[in-house]
Amino acid sequence: MYGYAGRVLRVDLTRGIITREPTPEAVVRDYLGARGMGAYLLWTEVPKRTDPLGPGNKLFLSTGPLSGTLFPGAGKMDFTTKSPLTGGYAGASMGGMLAAELKYAGYDAVILEGISPRPVYLYIDDERVELRPADAYWGQGSLTLEKRLKDELGEDFQIATIGPAGEKLVKYACISHDFGRQAGRGGVGTVMGAKKLKAIAVRGSGGIPIADTAEFVRLAREAYRACKEAEGLEAWTRYGTMMVTSWCNENAALPTRNFQSGTFEQGASIYASVHRKTIVVTDKACFGCPSPCGKYSHSKKHNIYVEGPEYETNGMLGSDLGLGDIEDIAKANQLCDELGLDSISTGGTIAWAMECYEKGILNREQSGGLDLRFGNAEAVFDLIDRVAHRDGWLGNLLAEGVKRAASAVGQDSEKWAVHVKGMEQSAYDTHSATSMLLAYMTADVGAHHNRAWAITYDLAVGRDRVTPEKAAKVIELQHIRPLMDTLGCCRLQWVELGMPLSCYAPALQALTGVQRSWEDLLHISERIWNLTRMVWVREVEGFGRAWDSPATRFVREPAVGGVTDGKLTPPLAAQQMLDYYYEQRGWDANGIPTSETLQRLGLSDLVGDRSAWR
Amino acid sequence: MAVTLVATGGLREYTGGLQELEVAAGPTVKEMLGTLGIRPELVAAVMRNRELVSKDYRPEDGETVVLVAVLGGG
Repeated sequence: MYGYAGRVLRVDLTRGIITREPTPEAVVRDYLGARGMGAYLLWTEVPKRTDPLGPGNKLFLSTGPLSGTLFPGAGKMDFTTKSPLTGGYAGASMGGMLAAELKYAGYDAVILEGISPRPVYLYIDDERVELRPADAYWGQGSLTLEKRLKDELGEDFQIATIGPAGEKLVKYACISHDFGRQAGRGGVGTVMGAKKLKAIAVRGSGGIPIADTAEFVRLAREAYRACKEAEGLEAWTRYGTMMVTSWCNENAALPTRNFQSGTFEQGASIYASVHRKTIVVTDKACFGCPSPCGKYSHSKKHNIYVEGPEYETNGMLGSDLGLGDIEDIAKANQLCDELGLDSISTGGTIAWAMECYEKGILNREQSGGLDLRFGNAEAVFDLIDRVAHRDGWLGNLLAEGVKRAASAVGQDSEKWAVHVKGMEQSAYDTHSATSMLLAYMTADVGAHHNRAWAITYDLAVGRDRVTPEKAAKVIELQHIRPLMDTLGCCRLQWVELGMPLSCYAPALQALTGVQRSWEDLLHISERIWNLTRMVWVREVEGFGRAWDSPATRFVREPAVGGVTDGKLTPPLAAQQMLDYYYEQRGWDANGIPTSETLQRLGLSDLVGDRSAWR
Repeated sequence: MAVTLVATGGLREYTGGLQELEVAAGPTVKEMLGTLGIRPELVAAVMRNRELVSKDYRPEDGETVVLVAVLGGG
């Protein structure tokens, strides 16, 4: 099977048994790999209504066909599981070096099942695969442990770890790798912690079979050249995703004080130019990247090193918490990385708590003595640590995520709990951006931007317009961007540099020897999207339209300040967008794929009778 | 002498397909964008000598300013 390592590693943590299986050809044919393989395995191997933190849930690590090849940005892999944060589908993409190393070791995917009776880590060195004791590592920070394992095993091992947050089952714990890359969202690190798996160390010395090596190398070089000759390369490389901070602030999309505003009055102090001049030490790239967006930074003020902040962290741990000092944001970033917390959900949850505090719903006693006013950096640092360790009433409460926290506290605080499906919204204010609002409402993990970064389309065609074309754009992006997660490559070469989409299908064909057009690939991506939707239908009792509701703030409470001052998206407008979306997707009015849609996408046999899952 | 504007990505729709065009010095970048019919929100960033500058920056004669499109692809 060209383009694939050809084997899947299955690790039974309960019994300590490790087996190897052939990578199933039919799965590769219909789902390609990475995100697609993860969704398929989640559907077929995890029983209905499994406890996300119980032994029945599984964690799937999966690479794509392009992972580890010469194709630009081919350093991506996916982590898939049933989310402990949302109760639905979780698929988290991660860059770095692990995807390539895993394929070189001879594995397309790793299936982690059961629960180990004691802390262990998974050691993979080509054919030598072992579960090793990790009692001595339990309690260590992610970054600290990565360095320690590299010291102990060798620099050429690639390491993924969880921090204390994963061990303590904080619902939005992440998996960390390469000193600053994360599989961040949905609590994939929480599931790893529940399995008592502290780390994964991989070294591989093999290669990847290629159907037509000369042609693949030619096409990969061509794509690489397109990136290197892109006009935007210098800017995006020099500043990374931080470059959009100023753009977001100018356009009232920068989350500010728990999304009360999209405009931060201290915004200029956290722009990319300040970041670069003040604390960036060097650029940092993932495997095979022609446009390194990682910015390795050193804060003299706090004496810490961190990869970042990147834009999302800048927004969610910066402006959304009222922090206007880039070094304070870097410190909060470093804490999340070390403790193993998703910086987006952490920021969103703490922002909710700060607003509760300022509104008098949480008092000083409940906050454990912290003065939780927006802008108090020291309180943020302290609270991040408490959340990661579930320390105290508030730390334990916020460790459950903003939806559960608001439900527990009540007093109308659900109105400013900014989430969809229980996942905290990432860093784009959507008071006045109906495409982006719809993208958040319908993203298959919850309120995450990476499935469809549609806010640029809003600004191009009119941010408040409610049109079928906007729904179509969201769907188009939801097929293209996750397709790159399925192939195992980074989307930024296309998004930022404009690497032509026409590069992908020919390269994949030369790699795998299987003829597929771009339209074929989009069809597979649509199949995967609908399968993840069916995971929600199967796993969440009563799942339907209400789960696609936007965060209340954007439809009930106008934005304050900036170019969207006084604006919101009327609730009926949000529902109209949803109607357009469902119709175009071939879903019923409750947001469930119709039998015809499942049939068209070749999912009928896999899914069976859709009504049986309700 | 004049200011050279470099338009990237989709911004070239507004420059008649030209990658570079020369404009008279004096106005701010934002004012230049207005003259060209480019809405400022479609420009992610403005670069001069490899450094970001604001859209309120006034380029001087002989300077080259790069207008970075908010999207290269999508």
